[in-house]
Formats: sequence, structure tokens, C-alpha cells
Amino acid sequence: MSITHHPGEELLLSYALGASSEPVALLVATHLSVCSACRESVKDMEAAGGAMLTTVEPAPMSDSALRSVWSRLDEKPLQRPVVAGSPSDVPPPLRAYIGDEFAKARWIPVAPGLAHLPLVTRGGARARLIRARPGAGVAVHTHRGEEWTMVLTGSYHDETGRYLPGDVQTTTPMVLHQPEADEGPVCINLAVTDAPLIFQGLLPKIVGKVFGF
Amino acid sequence: MERPAVEAVHLNALVVAVGRARDRAAFKELFDHFAPRVKGYLMRLGAGGAVAEDLAQEAMLTLWRKAELFDPEKASASTWIFTIARNIRIDAIRRERRPEIDANDPTFLPEAERQADEKMDWAKAEDRLKLALADLPREQAQIIELSFLADKPHSAIAAELGLPLGTVKSRIRLAMARLRTALGDGT
Repeated sequence: MSITHHPGEELLLSYALGASSEPVALLVATHLSVCSACRESVKDMEAAGGAMLTTVEPAPMSDSALRSVWSRLDEKPLQRPVVAGSPSDVPPPLRAYIGDEFAKARWIPVAPGLAHLPLVTRGGARARLIRARPGAGVAVHTHRGEEWTMVLTGSYHDETGRYLPGDVQTTTPMVLHQPEADEGPVCINLAVTDAPLIFQGLLPKIVGKVFGF
Repeated sequence: MERPAVEAVHLNALVVAVGRARDRAAFKELFDHFAPRVKGYLMRLGAGGAVAEDLAQEAMLTLWRKAELFDPEKASASTWIFTIARNIRIDAIRRERRPEIDANDPTFLPEAERQADEKMDWAKAEDRLKLALADLPREQAQIIELSFLADKPHSAIAAELGLPLGTVKSRIRLAMARLRTALGDGT
């Protein structure tokens, strides 16, 4: 897989340090499952997290803490059932949300050739899948926050270029764009939006949302 | 600079001893070193003392149970325990799922992995990282710290500091370039 569009380092850093919301973490993990370069970056960032942990001011544990842990060392941990890896076209981080097959997921039709599937919403961030048949597109739209779109199958293009499996397109607020699925296999994307609180008066309100995309 | 390197190497050896031999003396030493730091980390992130104490205990139990999975060629003990504490916090305090990848997934394409990875000495790298972190320009350090200790993604940091998103992103890029230089900085 030749990936040319990667998530920004700010996303990888939030993920590595545990600061990203679940929808954004889902996007990053899904990208990491196909991108070894970003896996290496996250490893470096986790190393920075480890280094910072050593500099955090220690908070003394209570006198009984060690004894309490000591008494539990022989407990058998709860074993999570190991799920046999069935053949799947769904990247592993997504399987907990939709199962093993895109085709069996509960798609909601939105327009001819276009369906979506909400995955998780936390605070202002949300993740969903968007499925577009060749030629189908999303109307011109913009965002209050940022939007990241990762191609899972097929490909699409917009004014900025063409996006292939594994690619993550980052769209910053107020950028208008109009993606359209390419000919070939159906295009399935993982789309995550992050709408931080915008304090009244600091930024102009943006209108023109279509379909809520 | 030499002494802390020995300490990181020593901590790695302790985790390996727990993994290989269920070495309780090694575990006690790890507990004394890491449990108060994990507790401090959780409290800085807003957990109350009692909750932070419970979760620090959970983190240490996880260390005991998973120690055989620890690979000192892939991470330092501090990094490994940081990831355990991070995930426990997300699960128990934020009550969110933590989408993760399975590093042992055979479908991962290995060709682009860092070639020298096997030879990377993460214990020594940790000391170089600490120096590089201490050396970051204030404006970059502030954003890394907020990501680490305030549970804030870049967009919230930007809103809070009244900075454009692009400024926050470029500071993160600059900081990471410095940290990466420190990591790759020989042995």
C-alpha cells in the first residue's frame, strides 16, 4: 500500500499521549493498522510520554497500597475471549464497531449511491463510515472544526487531488470541498469531524452545511 | 547523564525479571518507583487521590500480569508503563474505548519498519529525550505538556491559548523534529 497522505503529527501526538477523543483515536488506529511509518512515529511519541512520566511529581502511595497489590498478585486475571481472526476486509480497530464485513454493516441510505453509518460520537467529535458508489459525491460542504477522511476501499477525488486506500485527507475549517467517488470498487471512507467549542464572537459562524456532512 | 541511563537500564531489567521469573523483589522495586509517578500523572490529569491510587494499583497489577510481553528492544520500562497508565485512564476515567492496533498482527507490512529498530537502545534514548524535552522552546514545550497532562487535543489547545490551529500544528511539528533528532542521535 503506497500511502501519500498521512494524518498530521498533531493527531498522532494526541493519540500517543492519550489526549484524543475516541472518534479521532479510531481514525488514527485505523490508519496505523496499514501504515508502518506512522506506527514508528507513534512509538517515538510514546517514548516521549514515557520520558515525561519520569519527570511527573510523584504522589506518595498509601502505606497499605503495596500490601494490597501484593495480595492480588496470584489472582487469575479475567481472560478476554480470543476472537478467532476470520477473513475480513475491515481493518481490526473498526471491527469492534461494525463487525467483520462492510457488506453486513447497517448502512443508512442518504442519497442515491450514498450511505453512511455513524460509529461513535464524543463531545464535539464524531466518526462515521461513508460509502459512495462510483460517481456519487457529497455536496459542497464545509466544517466548523477539522475533518479527516481515510479511504478504506476504492478511491475518491476532489479539488485537491485523488485519495487512495490508507490515505487520510485533512480538511481544515472553512475549506469548501466536493469529494466524488472514482470509477472502480465502491469507495468506503472513515470520516471523523472534530468541532471544538467555538466561543461566540471569536470566529464567524459558518453556514451552508449540507446533509450534516 | 550516565547515572540516569543506568537507572533506565536497571528498570528495564526489573521488568524483564518479573516477566521471566515472577521476581517479587523486582516487582517491589518497580512498584516503589512507578506507582507514585503513575498516581501523580493521574492526579495531574484531574483524578482524585483515591481514584488515582486505585488506578495506579491497577497499572502495577497489569505490569505484573503482562510483564512477559515487555520487550526492552521496543520500549523502555517507563514508556511501557506510561502506555498502560494511559489506557487505564481512558478506560476508567474517560470511559471510552481505546482503539488500538495489535503490534503482533502478522498482516502488518514489515518492510518500512525502522531498520535499526533491533539495535535501538530505548533506555539510553530516554535520557536523550528528557534532555531534548527540557530544551524545547517554551512555546513548543507548552503544547506538548498540554497534550500530556491536560487531556487536550490540538484543537482544544488552540482554542484555549487563542492560537490559530496552524500555529499549534507547526509547533508540534517543530517539537517532534527535535525529539526525533534526539532519538536518532547515536548511542
